[in-house]
Amino acid sequence: MTLAANSRTSFPPATAQRRPSPPPRRSASASTFGISLVTLAGLIALWFLAARFGWASPLFLPSPADVLTQFNAVAADGYANGTLLDHTLASLGRIAAALGVGIFVGIPLGLLMGLNRWVKGIFSVPIDLYWGLPPLAYLPLLIIWLGIGETSKIVLLSLSTFAPICFAAQAGVRSVAVERINAALSLGASRLQLFTSIILPSALPEILTGLKIAIGAGLSTLVAAELIAAQSGLGYMIMSAANFLATDVVFVGLIVIAVLAFAFTSGMRWLEHRLIPWKGKL
Amino acid sequence: MLRIRDASVTFPASDGQDVHALDHVSLDIAPASIVVAVGASGCGKSTLLNAIAGFLPLSEGTITLDGQEIVAPGGDRGVVFQKDTLLPWANVLDNVALGLKYRGVSRGERHERSRRLLELVGLADFAEKPPYELSGGMRQRVGIARALATDPKILLMDEPFGALDSLTRETMQQLLASVWAKTGKQILFITHSIEEALTLGTTIVVMSPRPGRIVARFDADFVRDFAESGDIGPIQSHPRFIELRQEIRSLIHQPEGARRGTLQ
Repeated sequence: MTLAANSRTSFPPATAQRRPSPPPRRSASASTFGISLVTLAGLIALWFLAARFGWASPLFLPSPADVLTQFNAVAADGYANGTLLDHTLASLGRIAAALGVGIFVGIPLGLLMGLNRWVKGIFSVPIDLYWGLPPLAYLPLLIIWLGIGETSKIVLLSLSTFAPICFAAQAGVRSVAVERINAALSLGASRLQLFTSIILPSALPEILTGLKIAIGAGLSTLVAAELIAAQSGLGYMIMSAANFLATDVVFVGLIVIAVLAFAFTSGMRWLEHRLIPWKGKL
Repeated sequence: MLRIRDASVTFPASDGQDVHALDHVSLDIAPASIVVAVGASGCGKSTLLNAIAGFLPLSEGTITLDGQEIVAPGGDRGVVFQKDTLLPWANVLDNVALGLKYRGVSRGERHERSRRLLELVGLADFAEKPPYELSGGMRQRVGIARALATDPKILLMDEPFGALDSLTRETMQQLLASVWAKTGKQILFITHSIEEALTLGTTIVVMSPRPGRIVARFDADFVRDFAESGDIGPIQSHPRFIELRQEIRSLIHQPEGARRGTLQ
């Protein structure tokens, strides 16, 4: 290469370097964190006060102490055929299976739909058709077809997580800037290299957004499905408790679901931070 | 040698009237020359570049590079785009090394070669930075280094400095002149700035729109002085420079009817 030999006398190095800009929105999130914390503390204090002064019957609003006692009891002795951990694991297992299907089928199929007219033409019709339906509307049908066991629930959840992931992967492929593709081609990229080095990473932000939507959709479908037809899981525990007006157990279930949802959100945020720190930067 | 013979590109338009973006253009780009295509927007200069890069098929005519007909994009033609197309998930060094990676060059060797090129464009200290921490001018330097990394036969530059402020632009022109002097690459450079065309071109082709064609060509060699001195001032106040600038300006601003007859 002739360049290399000649490059000893090189162009003077850039001096006017731009100061690395501070991470955007860091200050904004730091300033709202304190406010949010105070709000949360205020809500809990309000709950304490309401229970302490009997503003509402314990039947409607159990005291925090009751909920805590019940939490320990459910965790240790169990409620509705299982301990709190059993129910939580049952729910988590279902959503994990569904997300697994969503990810391992939805991402490849979505990518293919984004790349190939035929694949898109064939698969977009059935996906569009079922995606418009509320999952609980076809749950009875799934139960008739697949029985009341785990299969029908996992299929239901998989259907609700699959579509957003699949759509996102497809949109991710479509969103790749044509200049970026042209640049890679003019650097000599093969079709496979173009896919792995340009298209896949470019689509990653969209795919992660789809995953976030899928987790939200999966979680709400999960609990709803367990309320209707299940022998385990947090939704089932809540429904059983509600049948006996055990409001404190209902609260325990709700708190666990809230914590799970929060954990999923934080996990996704962490994943985005790790995988796509460059999102929106260029 | 890049040979363009009777190249035409026609786009179907919505009103049924085909748009002749490029109309029977013939042009040769010799080794070690900088051909600058200048003209108003819509004159087909970017279409010409895209056709040479292989991004756009020709409706008629042929383009050959060293005897090989161009049918698709390929690593023998390095492209620098107006909007930088660096990958945000890779650092500067890996961006420069991308074409070498596509060729299966080992990691150590492609990094070594890329570092030398970063030195050439004055960015040796920025190898590990993500591209989004660089200014626009620096990103374009990375783009140039990336295009040069695979040692292409020709460098195609599509208004690469068009989006930069005028001071950065001048620095970049200086950089390009010095890179050209060192590497002896043949370059096709697209611009809408007459000054830029005269400063950088060994050949300047003036293009006109509707249909896009070459209306005149001039030879110049201000770029040699520029590469040596690095001083744009005396070049742009040279009487010949001013004369050519006026001539090209009047060609570009000519009313369409009058221009028809002037074709070479």
